[in-house]
Amino acid sequence: MAGTLTAADATGPMPGSRPDSLWRRVLSDRRILIGGGTLLLVVLVSICTLPFTLRDTPGGTSSADQPNRWYFDSQDENNPRIAPTLHVKQDPYDDKSPYVVATAFIFGTDDLGRSIAGRCLVGGVISLAVGIAAAGISILLGVTIGMIAGFKGGWVDAGLMRTVDILYGLPYLLQVILFKVAFEPNLEKITGSAQAANIIVMFVAIGLVSWLTMARVVRGQVLSLRGQPFVEAARAMGVPEIRIFLRHMLPNLAGPIIVYATLTVPQAVLQESFLSFLGIGVKAPIPSWGSLAKDGLTGALNPQHSEWWRLAFPCALLAMTLLCLNYLGDGLRDVFDPRKEAAKI
Amino acid sequence: MVKFLAGRLIQFPIILAVIYVITFLLAWVAPGSPFQRTERPLAPQVQEQLKRQFHAESWHGFLLYYPPQMLKGNFGPSFNYPGRSVSQILSDGLPVSIALGGLAMSIAITIGVFIGTLAAVFRGRALDWVSLTVALLGVSVPSFVAAAVLRGVFAYHWTIFPLGRWPSGIETRLIGPLGHQFWDTLHASGFTSALSAWAGSFPQYLYAALLPAIALSLLPMAYITRLTRVSMIDVLGSDYVRTARAKGLSRPRVIFKHCLRNAILPVLSYIGPAAAATLVGSFVVETVFQIPGLGQFFVNSVQSRDQTLILGTVMTYSVLLLGLNLLVDVAYGWVDPRISVGGG
Amino acid sequence: MMKNSLPVGNGLGLMKFRTMRRLLGACIGMAAGFGVMAGPIAGLTAVTAAASAAVADDRADFTFINRGEVGTLDPNRMSWMQDIRIGYALWEGLYALDGDTLAPIPGAAAKVEVSDDKKTYTFTLRDNGKWSNGDAVTTADFAFAWRRMLEEPGDYTYLFHYIKGAQAYEQAYLQDNKAADFKTVGIEVVSPTVLKITLESPCPFFLDLAAFPPFFPLNEKSLEKFKQVDPKSGRVSYGGEFTQPPNLVTNGPYRLDKWQLKVGQHLVANPHYWDAASVQSKTIDALSVDDPILGLQKYELGDVDWIADTTGEIAANLKEKGRQDVKVFPSFGTYFYSFNCKEKLPNGDKNPLADVRVRQALAMSIDRRPIVKNVTRLGEAPANLYVPPVFPDYPTPTGLPMLDGKSNADVLAQARKLLAEAGYPGGQGFPDLKIMYNTDVAEHQAIAEIVARQWKKNLGITLTLDGIEIKQFQTRLHGKDYAISRASWYGDYNDVSTFTDKYKGDSLNNDSAWVNAEYDKLLVAATLEPDVKKRLALLAQAEQILVNEVPILPMYFYVNKYVMRDNVSGIPLNPRNMVVFKKVAATHSK
Repeated sequence: MAGTLTAADATGPMPGSRPDSLWRRVLSDRRILIGGGTLLLVVLVSICTLPFTLRDTPGGTSSADQPNRWYFDSQDENNPRIAPTLHVKQDPYDDKSPYVVATAFIFGTDDLGRSIAGRCLVGGVISLAVGIAAAGISILLGVTIGMIAGFKGGWVDAGLMRTVDILYGLPYLLQVILFKVAFEPNLEKITGSAQAANIIVMFVAIGLVSWLTMARVVRGQVLSLRGQPFVEAARAMGVPEIRIFLRHMLPNLAGPIIVYATLTVPQAVLQESFLSFLGIGVKAPIPSWGSLAKDGLTGALNPQHSEWWRLAFPCALLAMTLLCLNYLGDGLRDVFDPRKEAAKI
Repeated sequence: MVKFLAGRLIQFPIILAVIYVITFLLAWVAPGSPFQRTERPLAPQVQEQLKRQFHAESWHGFLLYYPPQMLKGNFGPSFNYPGRSVSQILSDGLPVSIALGGLAMSIAITIGVFIGTLAAVFRGRALDWVSLTVALLGVSVPSFVAAAVLRGVFAYHWTIFPLGRWPSGIETRLIGPLGHQFWDTLHASGFTSALSAWAGSFPQYLYAALLPAIALSLLPMAYITRLTRVSMIDVLGSDYVRTARAKGLSRPRVIFKHCLRNAILPVLSYIGPAAAATLVGSFVVETVFQIPGLGQFFVNSVQSRDQTLILGTVMTYSVLLLGLNLLVDVAYGWVDPRISVGGG
Repeated sequence: MMKNSLPVGNGLGLMKFRTMRRLLGACIGMAAGFGVMAGPIAGLTAVTAAASAAVADDRADFTFINRGEVGTLDPNRMSWMQDIRIGYALWEGLYALDGDTLAPIPGAAAKVEVSDDKKTYTFTLRDNGKWSNGDAVTTADFAFAWRRMLEEPGDYTYLFHYIKGAQAYEQAYLQDNKAADFKTVGIEVVSPTVLKITLESPCPFFLDLAAFPPFFPLNEKSLEKFKQVDPKSGRVSYGGEFTQPPNLVTNGPYRLDKWQLKVGQHLVANPHYWDAASVQSKTIDALSVDDPILGLQKYELGDVDWIADTTGEIAANLKEKGRQDVKVFPSFGTYFYSFNCKEKLPNGDKNPLADVRVRQALAMSIDRRPIVKNVTRLGEAPANLYVPPVFPDYPTPTGLPMLDGKSNADVLAQARKLLAEAGYPGGQGFPDLKIMYNTDVAEHQAIAEIVARQWKKNLGITLTLDGIEIKQFQTRLHGKDYAISRASWYGDYNDVSTFTDKYKGDSLNNDSAWVNAEYDKLLVAATLEPDVKKRLALLAQAEQILVNEVPILPMYFYVNKYVMRDNVSGIPLNPRNMVVFKKVAATHSK
């Protein structure tokens, strides 16, 4: 470890010192502000609009005499595919509130006449939930296993890391399919809803593969921290292992963990979109950004007649959110990890 | 180091055996029969006969028959493609994936390191933001969208690149000395003509494979850009760089001669796993551009429950991954002695 | 600024310079191992134009995009449309089908004599029939292939059960292959050119079957290399490698030159074919293109002459543009929903669908117009019958009333009444059933969503969508592990029974678990009826029962969707996608 400690090393080897400067640096990083701010906006908007956008899914609150504007009525003879518009001259629902209609069609409609805007909002909640759940699981499993491996060393480490190797080698797709087949019916009985069971299984299936990288990163960090002078000093002073572990290592690991968790979210969101591409993603009619992009793909890319809005809006939202998450992660890394340990993603 | 290497190499067969068994179990208990190829149910006696013919009557029968065969290099017949052996599918698909993946990794490294360096040098300025955003866009859009849009714009709309055409055998020419074409010519008419034949045809085959390779490179490129940027910033701030500048060396010279060399290290450590993922994880790009690579067979074999093909592709993938991971670990131990490789 | 915000202390500092050089060397070596250097990329733009011309493969005389990946060309295992299509280009059965009328016409056989009781067919082969390796085609080749079909059964072996003793022989061979006697089967090689086939019962479509790929001949000599004899039982099987070029020997207008998975097949005219003079295209490329948009893009750029099956969405878009090169015409199949008619649901609960009134109510409350208008979009005929309207002499039964916008109120009132009588007034107490469909085709999901919404709106019952992966779907559908499922059926041969047989009580294909003694009796009576007209009437009566009992809810009749330009000739628009490849040609200006 060459060089001297500078102010930027505050979160380094001296745990717990100067939290104020950490916060200041977090708030002064433009990437964190822009990324985090936009992200927060997306999350808030999509969650706050849920009561409206969810009304018409099967089991929702709409009924025959109270048609829903977010969903084209399939009995209707009109063409359901409407390009993005702010003015709907002919209200397909004979509705008295043109304002809401206009909002519903701002991103156009899909092949069943459902508002893309509405579905994008629901899809955002689902996609981000998948991402956050995966990050949560990867923190829980990855940190625990990585710490144990790094701290215990020896055969425990070897055993755990070989397990990680093996899990890396197993076909992810097969695991997801089996996981869904094995657990979905049982979960459905518990939750009483096929949709809920499906989404939970999706969370866990994606989370279960994303902890592997986290475990490796945490183990690497622990290994390198173990060799640090302050840890060795503590050990020489006779501080019990468990105390070293909790007092000296855990706080130092917070940075990398938060960073990798932030970077796990976009990966998990993309993973879900890949599963949707294969037709085993989130179950219809619940949308996710990935499934919306997949549904819109052929319609949008058709060289003769492009319904571009069916792909463009979900993708734009997805890209924007993931970009923000990546910015946030990069920014956090700069703030948390003054040595800028190489990322092994 | 030798002890460490030997230890890991001894572990390899055990890990591979465990992966084999787990994969087999997963594939075996997954619902659906590989022999049921259409939606129409197969008569029970037909199912029975096929299972017997393919040694798939029971799990123990399968495990007794296929693993010993596999040790001899025979992966058995594919269940979903009657008349093809898994070895044949692998040996057809792997060169394609290697050619495509290798090209993609080359692009990713070249461009990623370049953009990453630029972003680091112009840190915090507009160029930093722009270059990073461009790189990050690659990982912010689902790959099936990115690949399909690239295809639509560059191959269909502007017809700059061929559209979904993978001329047969180009993979063996692309990988040059690794492909059989090269050796055939070598045997027939000597080294120089083999080399010139390869070099002469290389650009056109490169051209045919370039667009899918670009699509495939987006993901590793984004990571490499970020890695380079981070470690370049690190290096740029170090004492020796300041010393070099103070001595009057020009800025580009310092950056490219002194810094890049150090900054590229973490990137190299990322190449191992990324290359493995790119080689076999190219399902989407292969589907979008209709390329007969291993990625398609990997995913399709799972979808069709083709147990022998699943095992064949998984084992190929695992060997690649383990080998490359080992390389990375060795490199780490070599470079940073603080990390005790092999967990002590 | 930089100094403050940038910490020093690169852990991999300069001091490790030598080791790093080593590492760098190793890594560069690794990169070189990929065999692809990044260097050439820079100079690439210069060679782009030249390379573009050089890479373009020589275009075949005729190029088309097949429906999907061809999995096998072993006649025993061919089952997908795309396999069968290539099969027709490579082989010729005893009889062939006329592309326009679908009537059987002589193929490898020059003529056939049918006995008065319609049970004995005596085929006489052409004396100039040749395999692609130059051998003469003999009746022994047919007997060999058909025998193999019984001893090494495949997807379509059940079609051979019309031949006398065939089913018994298949069973016997499975039990004890040494005791089984092939002489008991009604396949008799009278001479190298005369083949006598005896049937169990009259089979008016037997010549049609004789044209179907499972009935193609095989060249025993070319298969000899791939023969495997089980040492214990002495059972003989043939390794499927014989289907790969250059091993494959066929007797049709083309021979298989190249076949790469995920790419396609390259076919070359067979010079030994007896009718080689009338083969129009010297070479044919059959491409495997999984992405329909890629297929259309290739077609638009002129790389492809014919798209043999495009998606409904693309065909509809082209039609809306007024394009004349998209051909939409009736197909040989029906899209329907299958009801599980068992007394108990898979989870053990009482199955409301076991009550015929519930099934009728569900069927009557579906408006199919939005489905064909907004999802499939090609003007498919909404169906309240099972058998598609492609049999001219078939007396069509009467279907249940369909919602058509005019009499909706009456029909719906009737449906609600039926549901109430069954114990679910206004949908009250109706259990939460699931609509199962496979997710690999987007249309299934869209249709399921429409159906679920309509049932909710019209009957007040809430059903959940259950989109699952295709293999799981197959297993659950055939295992009757579902309540309501998307399903479909395409006919195999030109007869109504290819549809009605599916719902025989003991049929393997009866996914509804619906058993009706009278229905079965009518089908048996039809099998024994030698008079064609009376036979069709019996089958129509049977279908009437099926339609009234609603084990399935027909949605619409499939259509075929071809995209091809005017310069293509020889591709007829018949419901069964039957292409006579020797007549196919495309004129290219280039």
